[in-house]
Amino acid sequence: MNFKSAFQTASVATGFIAACAISTATMAQSGEKVAVFTKNQTNPFFQVVRLGADSAAKQMGAVVTHYVPTKPDSIPEQMSQIDDVIIKKPNAIVFTPVDYKAMGAGVLKMNAAGIPVVNITDRSEAGKFVAFVGASDYELGLVTARHLLKAMGGKGNIVILDGVKGSIVSADRARGFADALKEYPQVKLLASQPGNFQRLQGLQVMENLMQTHAQINGVVAANDAMAAGAIEALEGANRKALVVGINGTKEAVDAIKAGKMLASGDYNGFLQGCVGTMVAIRELRRLPVPKEVVFKASVIDKSNYQAVDMPADKRSCPKWEEAIKG
Amino acid sequence: MNSAVQPALDAPRGTQLSPEQRALVLRLAVLGLLGLALTLASQAFLTPGNLLNVLRQASLMFLLASGLTLVILCGGLDLSIGANVALSACLAGTVIQGTGSVLLGCAVGAGCGLAIGVLNGLMVTALRIPPFIATYGMLWILHGVTYWFMNGETIHGFPPAFRALGSGYFAGVPLPVYLMLAVLLVGTVLMQYTTWGQEVYATGANTEAAELSGVPVFARRLAVYAASGLMGGLASLVFLARLNSAEGDMGESLTLQAIAAVLIGGTSLFGGTGTLVGTLIGALILTVVLNGMNLLSVSANWQPLITGVIVILSVLSDAMARKRHGG
Repeated sequence: MNFKSAFQTASVATGFIAACAISTATMAQSGEKVAVFTKNQTNPFFQVVRLGADSAAKQMGAVVTHYVPTKPDSIPEQMSQIDDVIIKKPNAIVFTPVDYKAMGAGVLKMNAAGIPVVNITDRSEAGKFVAFVGASDYELGLVTARHLLKAMGGKGNIVILDGVKGSIVSADRARGFADALKEYPQVKLLASQPGNFQRLQGLQVMENLMQTHAQINGVVAANDAMAAGAIEALEGANRKALVVGINGTKEAVDAIKAGKMLASGDYNGFLQGCVGTMVAIRELRRLPVPKEVVFKASVIDKSNYQAVDMPADKRSCPKWEEAIKG
Repeated sequence: MNSAVQPALDAPRGTQLSPEQRALVLRLAVLGLLGLALTLASQAFLTPGNLLNVLRQASLMFLLASGLTLVILCGGLDLSIGANVALSACLAGTVIQGTGSVLLGCAVGAGCGLAIGVLNGLMVTALRIPPFIATYGMLWILHGVTYWFMNGETIHGFPPAFRALGSGYFAGVPLPVYLMLAVLLVGTVLMQYTTWGQEVYATGANTEAAELSGVPVFARRLAVYAASGLMGGLASLVFLARLNSAEGDMGESLTLQAIAAVLIGGTSLFGGTGTLVGTLIGALILTVVLNGMNLLSVSANWQPLITGVIVILSVLSDAMARKRHGG
């Protein structure tokens, strides 16, 4: 997928008319060419990562080209995109593997072609990288759950909506939840059930759990979509509980603003895109870069949402020194 | 398989059950057994609140699978149904938020679904593309359009009047349940008691024979795809109202589940046999399994395995009975 064109406006007609405007601005400067790989077009998180990368490239006078599988998280598609990119030979690559194990072979190909690669978001198992830039899912799980348990006054009942069994993101976040629970022994974990990161499942699992647990004071969801599903379920049943999610999506920020959601762990997609791209460009310009930038886990709530409450395409990357402080 | 029975025309009278009726009874027995086991295992299962909860969850799945049932028993397949939901819901949601008009949004959602269904039907009938390929191609096209249209955004926050469609109650029963019953009633009358319905069964059982006996095969096949598309569009509105949001990948996990509900309900992939009541039972079995696992806090490690085993068992009972009766 290529969002190079400055403005695209089009209308989709399906017997009726609806119009939408997509605008992605990329400076047409003759700077370094950076290929940015993300996992899909459907998760708002990666949309924000791409905007961060665009903003960094704009500031530093480089040119970004995006590669996104049309089928979300498709391993074969990302593999063939790697082949394409190696032929086009960009100066550097910023890379999120769609699967941290399966894409190892692809990373080795990029290494063999001699193109410097910066790994962002999900840590790849194999390959050589200039640096890793990302957030710690364990820390995010820990601070987000801790935030909820503290707000509950250290007592009451909670349920956990987990992500996809077997996904490393889900496992790390779940570990964080469990460790936070250990700090609050008076809080009772009623159930921990999978919602597979999906809104509908988050909703239905929450509806089911409410049938058997008369008192649920808090809900920890492994992402914001499931948290939003749980909030709908609670509203539908006229019940109240404090709900936290992870990722810091725009939707979560809106819900926090409206007082429907307590907090969301900030996955910092914009900053991941910014810093990943900055590292790639700095490496090409032989400026010093760290081997690893892991952002400090933080939580967005009522007290601080203003800082992220703006459209991502209006945000711009902080200065390098600020950015890597995290 | 092709010795399909046309229930209303030549249903056997007397004590002998037709294979279709026997299949229905066996599915009901599976559902009853599941219910009994869960009643014994969890105090929360057999309560009015939970039963309404299960019905509401199943109604979403049923609405989606109802049109698909007609397609499958007419000998076709619609793989684009989940992608249809995503695009229809995203368009409807955008229109409701952009214009503030719930009616216009609903018209756009239903119209989008219908248009997709008609396109599928034309590909299968006029262009003679195999249903699997035609609707699989459509799935990709719809994904492409939806992802481009949404650009990774989520639309959320709709007026209460619209949300009532998914989360409202009338006389203590959730509104989607009424929708489900209405579709079930109209659909069953249409399929069992009208010539139109019998012609759809005949087309699915043996297309050439149906054509030779004067059934307008082309029109019937086109119509069932249109119905499937329209139901996809209508279901998308209920999903949108229930979830209070729309996103590009919201339909991804729905297609296989809807097909599973239809097949567990006893509709044959080879066409000619199946009922909407069966599909409702299929949707209920799938819903009750998840409900039961949540009530009992079954570990995430076991959930996929248990789902798989119950899906297979629920169809196995029928397959074995069929064999014993030489049917």
